Amino acid sequence: MSKPKIATDWLAACAGCHMSLLDMDERLLQVLSLAELTSCPITDLKHPPHEGVEVGVLTGAVNSTTNIAVARMMRKRCKILVALGDCAVFGGIVNMRNYFDMQEALRCAYVETPSTVDGFVPASEELGRPVRARGVDQVVKVDVCLPGCPPSADAIFHVLSELAQGRIPVVAGETLKYD
Amino acid sequence: MSKVNLKINGKTVQAPAGSTILEAARLAEVDIPVLCHHPKLANLGSCRICLVEIARQPNLHPACTYPVFEGMEVQTESPRVVEMRKFVLDMLFSERNHHCMYCEMSGDCELQNLAYRYRMDRWSFPSPHPHMPVDATRKYFLLDHSRCILCRRCLRACSDLAANHTLGVKNRGADTMICADMDLSFGESSCVSCGTCLEVCPTGALVDRRSAYMGRTAEVQRVRSSCAACSLGCGVELVVRGGQVLRVESDWDRHNEGVLCVAGRFEPLEQTREKITRPLVRRDGQLQEATWVEALDALVSGLRQAAPGGIRAVTSGAVLSEGMNEFVNFFKGKMGVPVHLLEPALAGSELAADGGLKDVDAADFILVAGGDPLASHRVLGYRIKRAIDKGAEVWLVSGKETEMAHFAARCLGLAELDSAVAHCMESRSPVVVYGADLTAREAGRLARLRGKARFIPLAPSPNGHRAQVLGLEPAAGWAGAKALFVLLESALLQEGWLQEFRRPQFLAVYASCRSPLTDQADVVLPALQWYERQGTFINMEGRNVDVHQAVEPGGEGWSVQKLFDRLSGCMT
Ligand code: SF4
Ligand code: SF4
Ligand code: SF4
Ligand code: SF4
Ligand code: FES
Repeated sequence: MSKPKIATDWLAACAGCHMSLLDMDERLLQVLSLAELTSCPITDLKHPPHEGVEVGVLTGAVNSTTNIAVARMMRKRCKILVALGDCAVFGGIVNMRNYFDMQEALRCAYVETPSTVDGFVPASEELGRPVRARGVDQVVKVDVCLPGCPPSADAIFHVLSELAQGRIPVVAGETLKYD
Repeated sequence: MSKVNLKINGKTVQAPAGSTILEAARLAEVDIPVLCHHPKLANLGSCRICLVEIARQPNLHPACTYPVFEGMEVQTESPRVVEMRKFVLDMLFSERNHHCMYCEMSGDCELQNLAYRYRMDRWSFPSPHPHMPVDATRKYFLLDHSRCILCRRCLRACSDLAANHTLGVKNRGADTMICADMDLSFGESSCVSCGTCLEVCPTGALVDRRSAYMGRTAEVQRVRSSCAACSLGCGVELVVRGGQVLRVESDWDRHNEGVLCVAGRFEPLEQTREKITRPLVRRDGQLQEATWVEALDALVSGLRQAAPGGIRAVTSGAVLSEGMNEFVNFFKGKMGVPVHLLEPALAGSELAADGGLKDVDAADFILVAGGDPLASHRVLGYRIKRAIDKGAEVWLVSGKETEMAHFAARCLGLAELDSAVAHCMESRSPVVVYGADLTAREAGRLARLRGKARFIPLAPSPNGHRAQVLGLEPAAGWAGAKALFVLLESALLQEGWLQEFRRPQFLAVYASCRSPLTDQADVVLPALQWYERQGTFINMEGRNVDVHQAVEPGGEGWSVQKLFDRLSGCMT
């Protein structure tokens, strides 16, 4: 039997969850001996393969129409979808944007920041539109949630190695942390 | 008391009739989660996290309010109960804004702990992210409504423990908000910053500003001690990390029952005075850092030059008993020098100190004479207000304006003391609280109540009782003093304490902080800081209470005992 495939991608995230994934250090090799990593934002191949994967992992909140598209693609191409980190599970720190008016937030980020010169709010057709920030499960069905900001390398190892061996991980005890 | 037999999760339990299911479960060591319940507060039954299943009853019931009955069978973790608890948690988390990753309380939060316990790896309902204000108008702690679960522990603590009735709720349903008075900001409200609400809040809604993010329960040590800021000697727990006191919490098992005042909880850590960490000796008119050997040499020669008749010694009544004993032994016993007390003393040493906070609780009449507990011994003042809430009558006899006057049934001048005494005679269980504003004659008039009433003194200094036992009194004047030794420790010198004081030829001060007095001194000896010292003092109830060292001394300060031990060696 060939090894199960894992793909990861990120949405509106700080990259911390993927850093925590790398924090598994040599245990990454253990995971890779059990499963094949087809794609992730920090490898050359960014997108999950058309033929699909067993496990899809999303980090980050849904924050724009692009995020929605990426989340839907991952959902379509994976059997088990994992929301990894507080942003993916609850919307996390990205939720703070919801306390402000969208235009106000955009102006603040692209025009008013002290380091910005001749700033403007980008409005190209090719770009996604910002939407209210939220967790992944408000857009697509999520099978496994691993909260944490970021989840510890131990927690990520536990979840990925369980999944790679065909088991649904139990997220509890030391593995379950919201901070 | 009659007992009731019941079964909790199949375990047979005998509980006193009238107990709640929660109390019975605790006897059986079954852990039922709670949020609005607090062991020292009246039960409210509002949060519904403690719901349990009772055999043959269609609905779930809150364990914290439901009384036990004979033959009752309770399930505390059945699938139905667990499902309902998760639902309650889901509702609580989706109602406001809980972002544990940057919440001060994360790791110590009762709500978060329950979410972990019930393995909440996601919230079923998205939060609407309501805009919630933060009230940071109080100096020492803030209220972030985003984290408030409306358990109303704070409200009950403020009303029932501190008897201050500042807190209430406004609006209804999802718009319900904790508020102060008639919806004022906390800074403008009647809040007295006792911090009792802060201590009982189960979440990160009420947050201590000074110690925020400085350490979680697992990272700190707790040192049980007594507040020595007034003679009440409230039980405290000093929360310590890395050689620093982060905050002061209360010891719920002591006479103050969890209540502290701003002077005990917050102000001691607001130290703005410069600490004295090394001995100082005046050379060429300038105070300069010196070694202990040099300082002791300077002290010994200063004292010798004034000896035998020119030396005076004075101690603050804030010094702990062990140190005060050494001080008296050395100066009076060994050197034959007159010793005095810095702070004013109570008149009426013939009056007893036989009353305590429990007597206040049980009193039907409380006479407050010549003092204002709400200004000087605040936790006693709160306790008196609590007694008023329960129906006690308070008369105030004072020549001054007082806080207590707002709450007293009658306010009389000192000339009318006799009518108050007469009223006291007719009461069932009276308590007399007397302060330093009474003259010896007025105190004598109160003495008629001995045997009838319990007496609580408002000693002007924390260990004033000990000073009295040692026969220390304020000096009438300082004429003829050539050398003066002041055992000040951390006391803040106040106007009128050193009456007719003129700087003598030689002045030595033992102090933990810089002050105008240490600036004038010839020798300054570094004292231990209040959290570095160890010993006992006699509190207002006449009981010895312990002060424990919370952290290792950070400077070169010596304890009073060590100081006099070494000094004795030098003087022989
Ligand atoms: S109050 Fe408790 S549950 Fe809410 S954010 Fe803070 S730690 Fe998390
Ligand atoms: S502030 Fe704290 S104690 Fe008060 S109701 Fe809110 S959560 Fe409860
Ligand atoms: S600090 Fe004390 S007085 Fe102020 S609201 Fe809290 S309990 Fe009430
Ligand atoms: S009443 Fe006195 S002993 Fe109690 S906390 Fe206040 S200052 Fe300290
Ligand atoms: S703890 Fe029982 S209802 Fe809140």
